Amino acid sequence: MIDKILGKLELSFFRNLVIRQIRQDYLENMTGFAWLILQPLILLAVYAFVFSTIFKARIPEAGDIGFVPYLAVAFWPWTAFSEAILRANGSITANGALIGKVAFTTELIPLSSVTATFIMHIIGYLAVLIVLQLLGTHIYWLYLLLVIPVFLLMWLFACGIALFSSAIQVFVRDLAQILPPLVTFWFFTTPILYSASYLPESIQNIAQYNPMAWFVTRLRELLLFGEINLDFTALVIVIFIMVFAWASLRFFRRFSGHFEDFL
Amino acid sequence: MDSLVKIEGVSKIYPRVHKSHERLQAFISLLFGREPAHGAVVLDNINLDVVRGQSLGIIGENGAGKSTLLKVLTGVIQPTRGQVQVQAKIAAMLELGAGFQPDFSGMDNVRMKASLMGMSSKELDARLDDILEFADIGEYIHEPVKHYSSGMVVRLGFAVVTACEPDLLITDEVLAVGDESFQKKCIRWIEQFMKRGGTLLLVSHSMYVVQKLCQRALWIHEGRVEQYGEVFPVTQAYLAWHEKRSAREKEKRIEASGDGAYYRIEQFNLVGEEDDSTPAFAMGDDLSIELQIYSPDDRPPVGVVGVIRADGTPVYGVVSDNEDVKPVKLSDHNYRFRICFNDIRLLPGSYNLSGHSMDPEGVRIFDNRQIAFTIKGNTKEVGYIRLPHEWQD
Repeated sequence: MIDKILGKLELSFFRNLVIRQIRQDYLENMTGFAWLILQPLILLAVYAFVFSTIFKARIPEAGDIGFVPYLAVAFWPWTAFSEAILRANGSITANGALIGKVAFTTELIPLSSVTATFIMHIIGYLAVLIVLQLLGTHIYWLYLLLVIPVFLLMWLFACGIALFSSAIQVFVRDLAQILPPLVTFWFFTTPILYSASYLPESIQNIAQYNPMAWFVTRLRELLLFGEINLDFTALVIVIFIMVFAWASLRFFRRFSGHFEDFL
Repeated sequence: MDSLVKIEGVSKIYPRVHKSHERLQAFISLLFGREPAHGAVVLDNINLDVVRGQSLGIIGENGAGKSTLLKVLTGVIQPTRGQVQVQAKIAAMLELGAGFQPDFSGMDNVRMKASLMGMSSKELDARLDDILEFADIGEYIHEPVKHYSSGMVVRLGFAVVTACEPDLLITDEVLAVGDESFQKKCIRWIEQFMKRGGTLLLVSHSMYVVQKLCQRALWIHEGRVEQYGEVFPVTQAYLAWHEKRSAREKEKRIEASGDGAYYRIEQFNLVGEEDDSTPAFAMGDDLSIELQIYSPDDRPPVGVVGVIRADGTPVYGVVSDNEDVKPVKLSDHNYRFRICFNDIRLLPGSYNLSGHSMDPEGVRIFDNRQIAFTIKGNTKEVGYIRLPHEWQD
């Protein structure tokens, strides 16, 4: 069963694809790597300014931790996630030349794209956590061990979305235009700039099943407050993401043999 | 018999994908497991069994579906219908540079390509020296591939293929690139590969190559198998068909230009030389030529007669119009020119007599015929013709 799902895992090829992706997207030049850290930092500064200085937003849950660390701990994982799915969306079309000439397991292309983005942003996330600690925010470093499975689930979720969207992108080219505003909408409906308790109660019931909301809330609890919250929702989210990832692979494979005709 | 690749009832039909609604329809069809709306049929019900040790050549004209068949065999594309069973390690050289990333160094690309062909990093490390030796591009291996010449890309690509030791090697005319010494190296490698028991599947337009390297041949025509079997009968049948088609096309061209406005050459011959073998003359002989032209509007046409050397160099030509010569009317619509080249001064060699028909205004050439002939003799003079000359004190 597992064998059938994974197909022939071309590990060596996958590793090379990831390395290639990282070098292409981030290490092409020194500034590429610098921007990887700088861009979210600048965005973070903009959001911090707009929300804490102009809107004078107060987040009671943040307590004496302050708005910026509260935002940063959730903002970086979101950046990794959103950038991963946006980059992976066009990955099949971008690698059309390879797909039309060489036989290989096509799903490795979007998967390697997602993986490369996650690896780079996890490095950035660690850097941010260290900076926060140095600036006086207490980080619960031991809970980093629990952060790993959270990130793994988030990665799996991003892979699932990437498999769906990159396959659809081959047929429906407009997806590249539709996806970014959808991701922006998702960003604002996920409690990153605010706390989940800000949402009206009617929406809260639905929003708690937003996997991204669950992820960022857990990351905050683990790293900033040292809390472990495992409830029924956690089980639902884990099962949902497993099923979603499996369905996305089924979906992708239904189309992958026909990509060459449409590229 | 040890089958390496077997395909049964394979058809490949490209879906219609030009308009965005066609793509959307195709997407929905595929989502529900149906075939998308049909476009071009490229392969139609092909059966093939590649057996170990029986190299196969695939022949056919351009657009017959050869490359698509190779893509199906290598698994690059899935057939619309039919089964493909692969029971061997296949290495494909459809395009040697395929999958190379121009910004990365040759070494990085070798790693990538090797992993793509299923080699682990350990296996690659063990064979890296062989690969670099075969590619023979020296320090360039550390340069980005975009700085390579096309020949270097090919060498590197072939070198990786040689390292992966396939059972079946599939190639698509790629050996036509690279310099001569590298081509020889490739051919030598392929011959050794076949001696070691490897099987070759190649697409080629050169019947010579196919006959030299393959035991069996498959001729595809418009996506169907025209003939499949021993290499000699199939390649000969293909060549015969090709010749016949060229002749037919010429006829069609003549018909298409319209009989009504066509000043056609009815006859062009050397007088007194009725047999069709290449007539031979000696220097100083007379060449008497007859040119009959059909005139559709019964006005007297213009005739041109000339001599061309066998290598295509024109030697001499004359147009009846310019010398105020009118043809003799033999019957309605039929006119005849007669011309005699006296005391022919062409040096020994092979020549063609060339005759052309033109409209009465002498503006456009309509038809032409050629007669090959030779001039015999021994002389140490050089050039094409003997100029009258005398040595003086």
